[in-house]
Amino acid sequence: MKPGKPVAVTGMGCICAAGSDLAACMTSLFTGNPNPGPPRRFTSDHPNPYPVFELTASVLSGLSREQNLSLTATLGIATARQALEDAGWEPEALRRIRTGVCIGTTVGCTMNDEGFYRIYRSGKPPDLTPIRRFFNSNPAASIAKAFDLEGPCQALVNACCSGTDAIGIGASWIRQGLCDVVLAGGTDELSRVTYNGFISLMITDTGPCRPFDRDRKGLNLGEGSAVMVLESDRSCHLRKKAPRVFVMGYGSAADAYHLTAPKPDGAGLKKAIADALSSGGKTMSEVAYVGAHGTGTPDNDRVEARVLHELMPGVPFFSTKGHTGHTLGAAGAIQAVLVAAFLKAGRIPASAGFHTPDPELLIVPTVDSRMISGKIALSESLAFGGSNAALLLGIGENWI
Amino acid sequence: MKAILKGIGVVGGFGTGIQTLEKVLLNRGPTVESLAVPDPQTLGGQFFVPVDTRQIQDRFPSRALRRIDHFSRMALLAAVLALEDAGKPEVNDRMGVIVATGYGATRTTFAFLDSVLEGGDSCASPTLFSGSVHNTAAAQISMLMGICGPNLTVSRFDLSISEALVVALIWLAEGRVTSVLVGGVDEWCPVLGHCYHRFFGKNDLSPMRPLDPDRQSAVVAEGAAFFLLLPEEDRADGYGVIESVTTGCLRDDAPVLPEDALILLGADGHPVSARRYARFVPKNRKMAAYAPYYGSLPIGMGFDMAIAGLTLRRKRIFPMPEIAVKDVPIDTVPTDSVAWTGKVCCLKITPFDTYGMITLATQTGNPGN
Amino acid sequence: MTDIKTRIKTIIVEELNFEDLKPEEIPDDIPLFGDGLGLDSLDAVELVVQIQKHFGVKIQNMDEGRAAFRSINALEAFISERLNG
Repeated sequence: MKPGKPVAVTGMGCICAAGSDLAACMTSLFTGNPNPGPPRRFTSDHPNPYPVFELTASVLSGLSREQNLSLTATLGIATARQALEDAGWEPEALRRIRTGVCIGTTVGCTMNDEGFYRIYRSGKPPDLTPIRRFFNSNPAASIAKAFDLEGPCQALVNACCSGTDAIGIGASWIRQGLCDVVLAGGTDELSRVTYNGFISLMITDTGPCRPFDRDRKGLNLGEGSAVMVLESDRSCHLRKKAPRVFVMGYGSAADAYHLTAPKPDGAGLKKAIADALSSGGKTMSEVAYVGAHGTGTPDNDRVEARVLHELMPGVPFFSTKGHTGHTLGAAGAIQAVLVAAFLKAGRIPASAGFHTPDPELLIVPTVDSRMISGKIALSESLAFGGSNAALLLGIGENWI
Repeated sequence: MKAILKGIGVVGGFGTGIQTLEKVLLNRGPTVESLAVPDPQTLGGQFFVPVDTRQIQDRFPSRALRRIDHFSRMALLAAVLALEDAGKPEVNDRMGVIVATGYGATRTTFAFLDSVLEGGDSCASPTLFSGSVHNTAAAQISMLMGICGPNLTVSRFDLSISEALVVALIWLAEGRVTSVLVGGVDEWCPVLGHCYHRFFGKNDLSPMRPLDPDRQSAVVAEGAAFFLLLPEEDRADGYGVIESVTTGCLRDDAPVLPEDALILLGADGHPVSARRYARFVPKNRKMAAYAPYYGSLPIGMGFDMAIAGLTLRRKRIFPMPEIAVKDVPIDTVPTDSVAWTGKVCCLKITPFDTYGMITLATQTGNPGN
Repeated sequence: MTDIKTRIKTIIVEELNFEDLKPEEIPDDIPLFGDGLGLDSLDAVELVVQIQKHFGVKIQNMDEGRAAFRSINALEAFISERLNG
């Protein structure tokens, strides 16, 4: 792929179990003690409660809820608002220009309200409120409606790659001149459907997840949202905004291998990384560190470690899921926002949940936080169905 | 950003394949007919237009199809047909796959809930869960057809097709891919049908009259429409060129319809929709509405795009079904096949006050120009 | 009362969608995974759920599962032991 222009990231927002905004999440990543627990908002009859990274009661109470809008859409709007504030955009000013919205999700686009269906199965006609809420809650359309935006508007439902894809595609919109501003990110709430689904696949841990650890047993689900404001250089010049973080490149490739297991040789992930680098005009040797997908499942971590060892041995890498859980459609966006924040801070965290090296993996993630002066970082995702996606993020004064 | 429409694969209430769709258009029928599905919870029962995917078994061994549900079978069949129609190009990691869907794999979604509600949480079926995730069709296409390029699934109800095409055109313009297999799929399931009837009332089984502003005549349908797109620079011989894809909010001054284009209305039997098209499309524009041939479903715009391709290739406008134009006070709708060399614009107006527009034109110039 | 092996074979045909097979056509000793019947990791976790549902026997993890799923014979022995033990 020919390299394209870096796309400025002028604002970021993040809400997840690690914090109610990006600053709080960053504090948790460096000093917090993650404490996933059994879900509180719903019950299940599993004998073992599988811990999840649920939003705290205080975070939830800080969100303004409407009956007709899902929590997933609400979270998306809230982090979009945080990102716009961070970028110094007044919402009224955005209405005058073409603004795209590109949001990844899993739960947010699925019509599967269990309460509704339970009543339907019993033979009674159920109340249609959950269905109305579903139609009203497409996460991308909800953000566009909340801020009265007009421009390309997509919800990506690419499983665990959705958030990474959303930012990569949003950046493409700007490079191709479709619009000058894009709100790009991802959002997903916890649900009994995904909870039971992942448990049935036997890839969840009964304790806190342990990405890349020898004794890892599986993932913990989480919930949350993250949004970046992506902006063209023309818009930045007009607003006299000097961004420091950029989306340099994006790559995506399919394993074409299996519905739930990643391809053992990591061919798709390697291609996605290669395309992210080439579209960013950078080489592997310039990558300072990698935000890994690192879910804590035996298969994912094995494949990812294999690829990282092959392509970038010695380059520090970490998973943030030990603090956030696996937030599915939001995961790639939360991870990208955190990696961008690490670039700005010049610091990367320890990979939470890792204690014992796995001899099979040949590499280990970061065991403590450290200052790091690199300018380029990768953020990657692997998804059910075999999608792989990678973002190249960069920091600098004069990329544009 | 433009692209050549090189291959079309469709499966719907009219049958299987672009040649079948073309025959229906040339014969001015039949229009879709519903299958009655007894449903104690839905007054008057349910009706939908089912799709037969048996032809997929001619193309893949049954073991390979073992876990593939109806939703993914429709998508896979339409995708394979698109490549066959395009002359079976080589598949590799420079071919992208994009799937649009309004509702996703609804039957499997509710079958998963059945496994939980019937057996308890510990009896949740992992096979059904993995088949219920929206990107399952795109995954099956890439796996069974060996396509290792970028793979994406998008969902925004009636604008899903438009949004998928926006990404397809971008990927081609960026050089991220050298071709894109892009399309949409939606399936009926009893819950969907039940909700439909709760919202819109009992279907009186009258034929679809998409331009009638007073009658609810939408026929719930399912199906898939897939396209192989190539960069415009390839100068390959295809149905035509996709000139532009836009989406936006309805306003007094939007959408702006391309001059002199035939407008294919995505009107699909909802009276509110018919009234909206009447408001935003001037009566003097040449227009047609072909939903009676494929029914009402979120990715219906994909079938309009297929018909646009056929219109460009034939250089003739297909007549609308007779019942759909009877008593319609617009004299610019086609009642006969008419010669046409201009552009074709597919317009979808949604219940959310948004619209999507896909404009296609004939390819100009010859290879080598 | 259908014997355990027949019930297992019926589960494989019906729940794992081997529509081209009849239960009685599955040999007792054929390897279920790999080159034998050709089940994969998704079938394995589905079998775990089906065995829980039809026999009330819980397989705790895939280490247990790997040994039990070697063949119909192995699975029958595993289930019988759990039911009687």
